[in-house]
Amino acid sequence: MLQVKNLHAAYGKVEVLHGISIEVPQGKVVTLIGSNGAGKTTTLRAVSGMIKPAGGEIRLNGKDITGLASHKIARTGLAHSPEGRRVFATLSVTDNLTLGAFPRLTFGRERGDVQGDLNRIFELFPRLQERRNQLAGTLSGGEQQMLAMGRALMLNPEVLLLDEPSMGLAPLLVEEVFRIIRELKTRGITMLLVEQFAAAALNVADYGYVMENGRISCHGPAEQLKNDPAVKAAYLGAAH
Amino acid sequence: MQIFAQLIVSGISLGMIYAVIAFGYQLTFATSRTLNFGQGEALMLGALVGLTLVGHMNYWLMIPLVLIFGALQGVVVERVAVRPALKNKSEFGWIMGTIALATIFKNVAENIWGRDDLKFPSPLPESPLTFHGIHVLPMEIVVVIGALGMMLAVEIFNRKSIYGKAVVATSNDRDAAGLMGINTRMVITFSYALSSMTAAFAGVLIAPLTLTGATMGVVLGLKAFSVAIIGGLNSGMGVIVGGLLLGIAETTTGFYLSTGYKDVPGLVLLLLVLAIKPAGLFGKTVINKV
Repeated sequence: MLQVKNLHAAYGKVEVLHGISIEVPQGKVVTLIGSNGAGKTTTLRAVSGMIKPAGGEIRLNGKDITGLASHKIARTGLAHSPEGRRVFATLSVTDNLTLGAFPRLTFGRERGDVQGDLNRIFELFPRLQERRNQLAGTLSGGEQQMLAMGRALMLNPEVLLLDEPSMGLAPLLVEEVFRIIRELKTRGITMLLVEQFAAAALNVADYGYVMENGRISCHGPAEQLKNDPAVKAAYLGAAH
Repeated sequence: MQIFAQLIVSGISLGMIYAVIAFGYQLTFATSRTLNFGQGEALMLGALVGLTLVGHMNYWLMIPLVLIFGALQGVVVERVAVRPALKNKSEFGWIMGTIALATIFKNVAENIWGRDDLKFPSPLPESPLTFHGIHVLPMEIVVVIGALGMMLAVEIFNRKSIYGKAVVATSNDRDAAGLMGINTRMVITFSYALSSMTAAFAGVLIAPLTLTGATMGVVLGLKAFSVAIIGGLNSGMGVIVGGLLLGIAETTTGFYLSTGYKDVPGLVLLLLVLAIKPAGLFGKTVINKV
């Protein structure tokens, strides 16, 4: 499905990713964990074309998408729910969701049943349906996160990148976000999840990668990482 | 009192012209945070191209051709003066770029149409209609309807069509819009095309009421810019109110004080707004929730 090989990326002259290789198989949830500043978000940004990779190769369903502009990558079926949600504040909830399906409504991606998908998003996120005519900028942080996820799903994606969906949310909402990720998993949606809540992420994921200073320090099946003493000590902590 | 009412009526059509040019400034500012300082020249070129075309055809048939010309001219401005600056993340390159292009356009126009002001034949009778002793030129009514119609059309496009929504999304957050599969570079080019098209439209609307010539755009472009600042660079209602304020301020000052001072109140208003409410009378400051 999604293959990232030896990915390098830099901000200006400072290289921040030193050769990342990740594989996300069809229908699986893969998580990328690590401390702040390890390069998790940068990895997702390089994959979705928000920044140009300095080297390496990214393939989606075998198609080379390395270095393409983000709008072209989106049209190949890669959806990215970015860090900080980035909803369109002056547009309504429905308009935000509709824009998620932009390549389907214009060109670049098979149309399918956009209205039906919109209804399914509203079933998945009842809060969004209640607020469908409200401007996205007036939603609470949790609702904005639901909207960002719903908007990404409207692409009908081959793979969904989720960047810190729990960031800044109250504990109850964090639980809700993970409940939804689990629900999406049962629906067979392929996901690459970046999270600071490593324990929760490893609970939902099939496979995990641990990042440190722009490199993958270890990876393995989620079950195995959860019980790895080094991972436990560094990222899972006693509290979990 | 009747004179005052007359001055207001005359100020309205002038104000709507300012408003529609200011609206053009907003269109490009929204998508790219850049402005075409050659808006006035886009207007002038529209008027002069219209003048040439009107020699061969009906005024109303000429308008769509001028709109197409304006759109193409806007694409040139974006490609030549703005895109290189955006690509290099040059914060101010587009300012000099658009000013330089504007000067070139003015020179070209002087060479094609000459330096003298030309008379633009009015498509409608030039004798005023009278309502309760207030005179209104038929063309002045066309100006108001045309300007409002143009702004309304763009607003409906933005709200109702998926492409319009893509434009609004790009204005909100360019990176996020890219993730939706929207080609934001194309959206910016489109906003320049639309912006110059609006200006060219304003040019052919106002041309029958004033004289037409290579220098007509300079002052209009500048005044419309101050209207955009007074009203707020992101408020559609703001440019209409700002345009009307400036238009009426000019006609009343011209009459009660002296025509020599007619530009002063608008500029005083501009300075006041900048001092008291820098985002403009209707300027919105977007709040981002965390």
